[in-house]
Amino acid sequence: MGKLHSQAMFFQARAAEKVANPILQRALQKAKPLFVGKRAKGIGALADDRLEFEQLRSACVDIRNRVLSDLDVWLDIFESQAKATGAEVLWAKDGEEICELVIDVARRHGVTKAAKSKSMLSEEAHLNEALAAAGIQPVETDLGEYIVQLAGETPSHIIAPAVHKTLDEIADLFTKTHGRPRQTDIPAMTREAREVLRQHFLSAEMGISRCQFLIAETGSAALVTNEGNGRMVTTLPKVHVVITGIEKVVPTLEDFATLMRLLPRSATGQTISNYVSLLTGTRRPGDTEGPEKTVFILVDNGRAKLLGSAYQEMLRCIRCGACMNHCPVYFSLGGHAYGWVYPGPMGSVLTPLFTGLENALDLPHASTGCNQCGSVCPVRIPLPKLMHQLREDQVTGGMRPWSERFALKAWAWVAGKPALYHWVVRRAARYLKWLADDSGRIRVLGLAPGWTVGRDLPAPAGKTFQELYAARKRD
Amino acid sequence: MSSRDDILKRVRAGVGKDDFARRKAVAEAYMAAHPRGPQPTLSNELATRFQAKAEYLSSTVEQIETMSDAPAAVARHLASLSLGVQAVATPDVAGLAWVAAGLDVSGRVAVDADKVGISGCFCAIAETGTLLLLSGPASPATVSLLPETHIALVPVSRIVATMEDAFALLRAERGSLPRAANFISGPSRTGDIEQTIVLGAHGPCRVHLIMVKG
Repeated sequence: MGKLHSQAMFFQARAAEKVANPILQRALQKAKPLFVGKRAKGIGALADDRLEFEQLRSACVDIRNRVLSDLDVWLDIFESQAKATGAEVLWAKDGEEICELVIDVARRHGVTKAAKSKSMLSEEAHLNEALAAAGIQPVETDLGEYIVQLAGETPSHIIAPAVHKTLDEIADLFTKTHGRPRQTDIPAMTREAREVLRQHFLSAEMGISRCQFLIAETGSAALVTNEGNGRMVTTLPKVHVVITGIEKVVPTLEDFATLMRLLPRSATGQTISNYVSLLTGTRRPGDTEGPEKTVFILVDNGRAKLLGSAYQEMLRCIRCGACMNHCPVYFSLGGHAYGWVYPGPMGSVLTPLFTGLENALDLPHASTGCNQCGSVCPVRIPLPKLMHQLREDQVTGGMRPWSERFALKAWAWVAGKPALYHWVVRRAARYLKWLADDSGRIRVLGLAPGWTVGRDLPAPAGKTFQELYAARKRD
Repeated sequence: MSSRDDILKRVRAGVGKDDFARRKAVAEAYMAAHPRGPQPTLSNELATRFQAKAEYLSSTVEQIETMSDAPAAVARHLASLSLGVQAVATPDVAGLAWVAAGLDVSGRVAVDADKVGISGCFCAIAETGTLLLLSGPASPATVSLLPETHIALVPVSRIVATMEDAFALLRAERGSLPRAANFISGPSRTGDIEQTIVLGAHGPCRVHLIMVKG
């Protein structure tokens, strides 16, 4: 799985490093209340129009389930509708094939520069590296993605890619890259990026975008952005390539309208994003603008095998980011700790499924079990349940470390013998009490010192519950 | 095996059903019926609601009586912001009496140098304060995208309640989608630097809506 460049195996090591990084912690602590507050306000405002969150949620779940339960049919309909509008429809099994197809389209049309609107699938494929290696300059145009690209990093959030970056860091990056005097006024910095990126929009021969949904009825791509970069890259360059997952189909325009009542609200709290574009086919007769060539690349990369599996519900995901915005683990560590494209609870489920459970052993455990993610998910994906399922799969697949497996086996053996169990527990209670200092706290836990690195363990009373109960009964 | 066939084979295996033709007929019947999800109950009349929501999204809004008042209204707006007298307009509104209002307006696609873009709209949506613009030779999409200032003429008679109503109007009047159907809700914005909202990311920095009553 080296080609996936997943660093998810190093979650624990990275987590420690992220917790100790004061700049990252400052950025995260600033962002969290904003994300949570905005969504709460957006969902709360539904009541003004007498809409109910739970009712809309059910409608969104139904739409996504309708598609997934007959995905072969809906893909067939989408493909024929898209082709009828003049678009080309290509299919990619994995990230490598995404890169091959994009580079092939680029070569056919003499492309030297590609302007990109944020695409997490292109992150799955490491498309930017492949394009650069093929002599094609990739330019990220979402402001957050642009910042991340300048820093030579990867996005740490699917909606706010540069949430881990502070103003000072961004000001330094701009000064270094743009060769202009350093600015720390956010509107002025945005203006500067606008001026630089405008020239790229105008000169790129290819626009690459994601899409939030594929509309089967019309063969369209639905693209939602706030900055307008999505509109730019799908309007100005002569070639437009849409890269999207095969699960993204929705049946009708009405279904799209329903999903749009929850997607922006769940993501940023907005009632609607600034730009929602339905892109259908290519430049029409009489048009003097718009792409002459539109290509859809429909990607599997681990999605098809989830159909009919215990993890099918994960394919309902509409990539709003609400799960990570409400996750205590995400906001303790930031997105990079997760080691692959998707962070937070949805990433803790998707990364093991897409890159192999054995390559992301810690991620299904990166949960406090609080179910904040499950309760805000607009398509009701039971994220904690799926993480639990992945943990079970690790156990049945023999992937847990031998020490953990041995300890559990030993515990099960002892627990099956009540007399022995009570004897062991009595010894353990006394041992722990003996370990404690005068204030009744254990500073260093002998057999597992890792547990007491950042905290003390309150010591037990020294007697087991049964001993205390028996003593009280005698009184 | 091609990647297409390979992927579809895996999808079919995952779906685990065989009666493709029957299921496709069911899907087509669903599309033909295009049922709506939960619909909002809007508390105000549509024009009032549209204006309130558009202003909330940082657009500025004024009302005029008839379309022939539009050039003078645009001229006043541009003068109030010292934005000059030159503008690019979508050809469908380029025929208004711009010269008489002292403006230099050309009907065409927009280019980078254009500072002001004037467009009509296909319809507007009261629920969210949104414009729907359809691309085409008479209504190129760049006019509402490249200039820093976008001014849109919005006939009150073209304000519908919801996105679903806009789709119904589109089906009735056009039959199919244009290359780009753009729903526009206020000026372009970003929050990517420390979650601070800034207007004017890549698209227009300001959007002015002129609601036309007559």
